Amino acid sequence: MVRVRTGISDLDKMLGGGFMEGDAVLLAGSAGTGKTTLALQYLVNGVTQFGDAGIYVTFEQLPDQIYRDAKNFGWDLRKMEEQNKFRLICTSPELLLETDGGESILDGPIKEIRPRRLVIDSLSHLEMFVPERELRKEAYRLIMYLKTKGLSSLLLWESPQIIGNSFSVTEVGISFLADGIVLLRPVEIESSMRKAIGILKLRGSDHDKQLREFEITTQGIKVEASFSEYEGLMTGSPRKKATLGEAIDQFSAAFARKEKKS
Amino acid sequence: MSEASDILNRLLSSEVKGDLLVLFHKNPGIIDTIDGVARRIGRTGNSIGNDVKDLVDLGVLERKQVGKHEAIFLDRKRDGEVQKIIGNYLNSMKKKEG
Repeated sequence: MVRVRTGISDLDKMLGGGFMEGDAVLLAGSAGTGKTTLALQYLVNGVTQFGDAGIYVTFEQLPDQIYRDAKNFGWDLRKMEEQNKFRLICTSPELLLETDGGESILDGPIKEIRPRRLVIDSLSHLEMFVPERELRKEAYRLIMYLKTKGLSSLLLWESPQIIGNSFSVTEVGISFLADGIVLLRPVEIESSMRKAIGILKLRGSDHDKQLREFEITTQGIKVEASFSEYEGLMTGSPRKKATLGEAIDQFSAAFARKEKKS
Repeated sequence: MSEASDILNRLLSSEVKGDLLVLFHKNPGIIDTIDGVARRIGRTGNSIGNDVKDLVDLGVLERKQVGKHEAIFLDRKRDGEVQKIIGNYLNSMKKKEG
């Protein structure tokens, strides 16, 4: 099975080698968790490490802001565009979804640079233009278009739920359409906000089931060790796991209390 | 009137045109509906219609029908030509003054 590597080595390990070629993967997370950074890094690494051209479609953020932010990580997107290895398209969802004339606005750029990778930032913006009952159908149509073009795509999804017990990736069943789901999530540990990454789903492939910590560094996303000392991360209120020694101490103390009472 | 001064006069004839030129030069990857473009400069589609038409007539912007929507985008080649014409014109004006 051909894999499309993200170029973030520890994330690729979590994915069992990378995304499956031609898959549409949902990258979900609340605001500020690093979705845009990870998505750009996926495209930039595609160009610089694997020779894959890529397209970034943005609905809200203007390209000049994306060029500037990317430059902070050392990624020169304008240069990549000049080399016909990258395209940054800024449009509205209704135009992207429009196919009445038989042609999509992506057809031209796809013919020009023959990309292997594509990012849509974000699929959740479709909600502003498509009635909720049609959202799943329209998302399905878009995903099938990307698959028909052989693109390995990352579809960003902004989850309003930042932290807490109740959690759903999307409210409208989009997660059923995606081949994979990568979750970015803030977690509060000992009064500091840290970031966690996890693979919730990867159709047809085994993957790492652990939540791992990640940081946004000056070179982009860096995935680190799992939160092995903590449990209950998905609830938003993680607890430190007791070590064997601590567990024995707790048991002894409880036993001693019981003995004293009797 | 020379072609260059005619272009310059038309480009400088309204604030909206200036805003549109700055938007498309900073963001050459925009391909959007007239309402979408207007939103990105904090205006409405109706209020920018005439200025978009002028820029399309000059060839700086292009229009393309995509289904029932009309997409507007920068014609990078023509835009480069227009910039060159204006640059040459301004240089010649400077020389005349000097």
